Amino acid sequence: MKQESVVKYILRLALTLLLITGVVAAALAGINSITAPKILENQQAKIRAAIQTVLPEANISGEVAFTDATGLVKTVYGSDKGYAVEVAPVGFGGDITMLVGVSHEGKILGVAVVSQTETAGLGAIVAADSQAGQSFRDQFVGLSGTLAVEKDGGEIDSVTGATITSRAVTDGINAALSCVADLEKVG
Amino acid sequence: MKFKDHVKEGLLTKNPVTVQLLGMCSTLAITTSLFNGLGMGLAVTVILICSNVLISALRNFIPSQIRIAAYIVIIAGFVTIVDLILQAYLQELSESLGVFIPLIVVNCMILGRAEAFASKNGVLASALDGLCQGFGYTVALVVVCVIRELLGSGTFGGGILNNGEGIRIIPQGFPAMQMVMPVGGFLALGFVIAGSQWLMRKLEHRKKDKEAVR
Repeated sequence: MKQESVVKYILRLALTLLLITGVVAAALAGINSITAPKILENQQAKIRAAIQTVLPEANISGEVAFTDATGLVKTVYGSDKGYAVEVAPVGFGGDITMLVGVSHEGKILGVAVVSQTETAGLGAIVAADSQAGQSFRDQFVGLSGTLAVEKDGGEIDSVTGATITSRAVTDGINAALSCVADLEKVG
Repeated sequence: MKFKDHVKEGLLTKNPVTVQLLGMCSTLAITTSLFNGLGMGLAVTVILICSNVLISALRNFIPSQIRIAAYIVIIAGFVTIVDLILQAYLQELSESLGVFIPLIVVNCMILGRAEAFASKNGVLASALDGLCQGFGYTVALVVVCVIRELLGSGTFGGGILNNGEGIRIIPQGFPAMQMVMPVGGFLALGFVIAGSQWLMRKLEHRKKDKEAVR
């Protein structure tokens, strides 16, 4: 075989890799353009469904401007029954995006988890449709003020083996409650 | 190599989980319900077949000096495609497997098969190898899942049967929670590996006995 010069050798390797990377990138761009709208739609549908869960039969009037010191509150939706507050506390494995329904009097009307990356079978229970998940979320309904999990001397039963996730959910709910309290004070 | 040998290798003698001990991260992390095990197994199998086929087809084109980089790019491409498709059309599975889908990129099993098999064999054989290895991986995952779910949550078929609740076999309050925690993963996997070793040895003995009779 003819001896290849060093420059040619390096170029050959680099260009081959560049070609492969380019083709893969193009394929990904193609797939992404197909799936991106669908993924966005899924997320919006989930948020709409979650708002329905936390504020049943309410007429959503749209997004409300808010002030928040914790940095956990993402969006606040106003309605005749109260507010749906989108919060994203940091759990065990990343952000837990959830919606908290809060009445004008500052009582929790409902909690729904939109997305999370907690441990399957443990922390993920807070978002599950199972009985355990349902009863974990339902225990918040009707409560107000500042909440804490049992381990921190509060009244919230943690999901077994998932204190950090439960604490994160509680933090998110506290942020939603104080945010609504501020809104009501101003309004 | 015959089809039967491929299947046997994938399932038992060269099972990616119990013999090669590859892909341990996902094996230990997600095996808490049947749904997770099947979903992860299927995702890995699809990616493994695709990457095996493509790498085998390109085996004479990719210079050996940059093969690892090229393989990783190809594997990452397939993993991202599967991830996007799951997010778009199988949202529930994608949420339940979470970060472990993107992590398939660094699952040694796929790179291992690319390096050990696909880079040296034809396209069809590589596809078959991917199918059998993926099948072996899925079976191993499902076995670990069933054990952990039964002992840890007391149910069977969580995420699929009975509206996702799973069929309750052990009454609430009795299952050992530790089994769905990481420690349970190690325990269950250890027993599954021991079991497969026992089975292999038994088959070996039987084969020897047969030969002795002849």
